[in-house]
Amino acid sequence: MADQPALAVEDVVAGYGGVLALRGVSLSVRPGTITAVLGANGAGKTTLLTTISGFVRPRQGRITLEGADLTRRRPEEIARAGLAHVPEGQGVITELTVEENLRLGALWRHGHTGRAEALADAYRRFPLLAAARDRSAGTLSGGERQILVIARALMARPRVLLLDEPSLGLAPRIVAQVMGLIRRLRDEAGLTVLLVEQNARSALGIADRGVVLNLGQVVAAEDAAVLAADVGLRKHYLGF
Amino acid sequence: MREFIQFTLGGISFGMIYAAIALSLVLIWRGTRILNYSQGAMAMFTTYVAFTVIGHTGNYWAGFAAALAAGLLLGAVIERTVIRPVENKPPLNAVVVTIGLLVFLEGLAGIIYGGQYRSFPPAFSITGLRAGSVPLGVSSNDVFVAGAVLAAALGLALLFRYTSAGLRLRAAAFNAYAARLLGVRVGRVLTLGWALAGLIGALAGVLVSPATFLYPASMDSIFVLGFTAAVIGGLDSPVGAVVGGLILGVALNYVGGYLGSNLVPVFGLAALIVILMIRPSGLFSVSTSRQV
Repeated sequence: MADQPALAVEDVVAGYGGVLALRGVSLSVRPGTITAVLGANGAGKTTLLTTISGFVRPRQGRITLEGADLTRRRPEEIARAGLAHVPEGQGVITELTVEENLRLGALWRHGHTGRAEALADAYRRFPLLAAARDRSAGTLSGGERQILVIARALMARPRVLLLDEPSLGLAPRIVAQVMGLIRRLRDEAGLTVLLVEQNARSALGIADRGVVLNLGQVVAAEDAAVLAADVGLRKHYLGF
Repeated sequence: MREFIQFTLGGISFGMIYAAIALSLVLIWRGTRILNYSQGAMAMFTTYVAFTVIGHTGNYWAGFAAALAAGLLLGAVIERTVIRPVENKPPLNAVVVTIGLLVFLEGLAGIIYGGQYRSFPPAFSITGLRAGSVPLGVSSNDVFVAGAVLAAALGLALLFRYTSAGLRLRAAAFNAYAARLLGVRVGRVLTLGWALAGLIGALAGVLVSPATFLYPASMDSIFVLGFTAAVIGGLDSPVGAVVGGLILGVALNYVGGYLGSNLVPVFGLAALIVILMIRPSGLFSVSTSRQV
């Protein structure tokens, strides 16, 4: 089943009370690729991720992870199926230390030795976290927190990583570092990533595919290079 | 001066009981943001369980263990059945439910055991200890009470700090959303939190019942004072619960000793009113803004 998508969203309709944020969205993510989800504020990008990760129940449609149906399952069960979601605002648990945040990420997946190995891997890959391991996570800077939550999500060796606006609130230099990190994760570890970004230029710089949402619907789904070259589309939906 | 020392030491024993109730309340408050009005009634019920076991076996420690086990079970069952539906509803729902639970448990105990005051045995001798020929104002049992609650508090602290279960409990209390994203089964974690609270409450029940006698409403005033201790210490702070309990226990013993024992309930309620007026967040609370 080499053609099976890592993640497939089929005709999903979802919203909050009387407001529909997603009006029939379909997309599929090939394994080992980065797919960028772009569009203006309110286009439905964050709702798409929170629906996939189970916090919003779709009213219609299906969501599958490597063929397994995840629709309407609880968020913690979806996480345990191998889908890691790094939310908007990062979701750092500031009352815990850096190491405790990381260990938390590994708990469901690993036994004692596995956790120790996963922790050692994380520190090797992210030396800045090793240096801060016993500090309260609340003392980290914005960029450091973003690294922490990505590392925390990776502790459980997810099949698919959902990232919601990782560049939000970060200085351009740090944004470049974070984007570089995501690209390396795809290149070196074959990680599959669904990346929601307002910073469309940075996102298209590392993505393989791009999906543009507007008012809850997909208005374009192309290879990233094609999207980046389409000046009309860029100006109209992406602001550059 | 001698009296002062006696009153201080004597107040520690009751203070530790208030601390235990306060600790249970803090545990549940931190985990579910619910104030468990039935905490005292739960402790009364589990003490009746101990009473029954002691009656059948003649063995105090069998009863003691039975009460603790019943506390764990009762806490878990209550969370899973009665509290789960109101965890994410408006706070008033949980207030109504826990008060209803209080009424239910006291009524049930009355039906099963009757309303008469029962005497409940202490773990150890209640004869006053002496330093040489000087009475200290405490008994061996008082020392056991203080030690047992301290051991429980320490055990909880170790659990929270060093175990995976403790990490899950803390994560679910601080940021349930992020915890879910990381695969933590928050529902089960909350059940564990309530079970532990039930355990600590059960401990308080068996430790205090020799002094208060056992009857369906025997834990009512203990609950109010335990709640006061939790408020003094700060509802978010386990350390505050223990310190608040000690402060309250010792202070009330001074009142009872120097001013007369009928003033104790008055002062207890006055303390609650005062702390709510001047520092409602408690002595040890730290206001942190959480990332949502």
